[in-house]
Amino acid sequence: MEERTEEGKYSNLILSLKVFFSNRTAVAGMVIFLAYVVDAFIMQFDPRLLGVTNPNQFTYNFVNPVPQPPSSQYPLGTTYPGINLLQAILEAIRVDLGYSMLIVVGGAVIGAVVGILAAYVGGYLDELLMRFTDIFFSIPYLVLAIAVGFALGRSFTSMVIALIIVWWPIYARYTRSLTLSIKESVFVEAAKAAGASMVRIMFKHILPNTLPPVVVQISLDLGSVVGVFATLAFIGFIPNANTPELGYLASLGLNYVQSAPWTVIFPGLAITLFALSVNLMGDGLRDVIDPRRRS
Amino acid sequence: MISIKLWVYVLRRILILIPTLIGLTLLVFVLVHIQGNNLILAEYINPRLTGQARELEIQRLTQEFHLDQPVYVQYFYWLGQVLTGNLGYTNTPIYSGPVTTAITLFLPNTVVLSLFAALLIWLIGIPLGVFSAVNRDSPADQGIRVFSFTLYSMPIYLIAIALILLLGVYLNVLPFSGEVSPQMVAGLSWFRDGISYPTHVLLIDAILHGDYAVAWNAFLHLIMPSLTLALAVMAGIIRILRASMLEVLEQDYIRLARVKGVPERVVNNLHARRNAMLPVVTSFGYTVAGLLGGVVVVESVFDFPGIGYWTTQALLNNDIGGIMASTLLFGIVLVLTTLILDLVYAVVDPRIRY
Repeated sequence: MEERTEEGKYSNLILSLKVFFSNRTAVAGMVIFLAYVVDAFIMQFDPRLLGVTNPNQFTYNFVNPVPQPPSSQYPLGTTYPGINLLQAILEAIRVDLGYSMLIVVGGAVIGAVVGILAAYVGGYLDELLMRFTDIFFSIPYLVLAIAVGFALGRSFTSMVIALIIVWWPIYARYTRSLTLSIKESVFVEAAKAAGASMVRIMFKHILPNTLPPVVVQISLDLGSVVGVFATLAFIGFIPNANTPELGYLASLGLNYVQSAPWTVIFPGLAITLFALSVNLMGDGLRDVIDPRRRS
Repeated sequence: MISIKLWVYVLRRILILIPTLIGLTLLVFVLVHIQGNNLILAEYINPRLTGQARELEIQRLTQEFHLDQPVYVQYFYWLGQVLTGNLGYTNTPIYSGPVTTAITLFLPNTVVLSLFAALLIWLIGIPLGVFSAVNRDSPADQGIRVFSFTLYSMPIYLIAIALILLLGVYLNVLPFSGEVSPQMVAGLSWFRDGISYPTHVLLIDAILHGDYAVAWNAFLHLIMPSLTLALAVMAGIIRILRASMLEVLEQDYIRLARVKGVPERVVNNLHARRNAMLPVVTSFGYTVAGLLGGVVVVESVFDFPGIGYWTTQALLNNDIGGIMASTLLFGIVLVLTTLILDLVYAVVDPRIRY
């Protein structure tokens, strides 16, 4: 009996993989996403592989600060003040990817706990927690992030906290709606009848079942979070002037946009390509977990 | 005839507003006080004061803002000030003075910008979504899908830069900085220190004064910011509308309409589009939130003097008064818009009331 369920799980996984890999755009998205991840890991652990000595800051060249067009020496050209764009983008990807990951996962964890509590316990707690999330939805997210980040001081830590504060209510609402349907299912009933405690039911039985859709949501949100993170940096929310960050990198070239458009095009492409790839990958994953969309 | 049930819903919806507004003000207040009194003192004390004079000033401010009281008491003092319309002072390069004056200067511009963006969304986004669904899987549909998916993946500042490069630099047909060309308004009696009178919206003021050349110039300056805003919000709308339109087109009543010989154009525009718009209307709250958030970025990229530009200037100049006031303002605008939309929606669609 046990063997058969194992086999069932196995064939289910195969089917899921088949569905995912038959979607060519989703696979392309995943490949690009993995390339970004690999770059981030190289920058973290051995930046010399890509010829970078210090991935934590831009390398300036004040001798020749004016942007240079792409050439064999600088494949993507340079931006003000004499920054090698290719190298800077490779460095910045680590920062953008790492912090965005932290924000989405942090927001998802907090949101999941709140959402499951609200839906499972219900009643006044549900009403209270949902009114609480309403407050966060009542301020445009970019404005809220600016205000929180401002109050905490300009640093990456405060940017991360600010964006987690912006993002967790979305996950709270999402897991709440998921939990509301899961808690009516037979296996929860069975766990209750077997005398499982409330905490055990919530985190051992309900939480794992909310995971697949939440993971898909995470991959879809990653694209938006990277965008918002870069946007904050672009409008000047940056800890110090030589932090490698894609939005900030684009803002450096803004004064040269007429004579040297590559200074804003390449950092912009880097971030759009990333957001596109995670969105495509997320769409593919959503098709996998939602059988209605498999057609 | 409006039923009792509807009134109950309206009342309930307005009552829910009260805790949200209290929470909103509490949140803003906590943000001000998260670093103790430092931010407040830094905003109001002249940095050139030292020694005795500085101490005296700190004492005066402690009195004025009740900084020696417990935090929850301070909240009620602060709330009292906010409710009587005293939002404090702002000090940025584009304006320094009372926050309430700053709002009357900048808010009208932002409202006009958002309305233009909304108009563009309605004129471009909705037809594109419908067209895409009606011509499913045609090359045009594929193109629209790639277009909206790419837009959806672009941060709003990049959409702005792309438009600047395309329309401002290469085609060189539209201006992309400020609200008007400076030489157009030099020496005008109703335009002083970058502020136009009486409405503070240059386009409207110019029309009021019969100065149509300036009005045209101001209009040209409005196109790129509002188009950026519209494109950013449109990306999501096209996707939602296409999906819901495809679903509606499968319905029996659409088939019936076709069978009985209703022209295709009428079926699409009258029978299908109206029903497909429902999810779009439902997501209108998010649209408004997107517009309001986008305004901050768009106005600062295009140097457009609205609330969003003021907010970024406040951020860059450590202006706590400006940040807090704009957060509160954005929050109240969003809360009230969502309320109005919900109420309109409840009147239009009886199923929404529960």
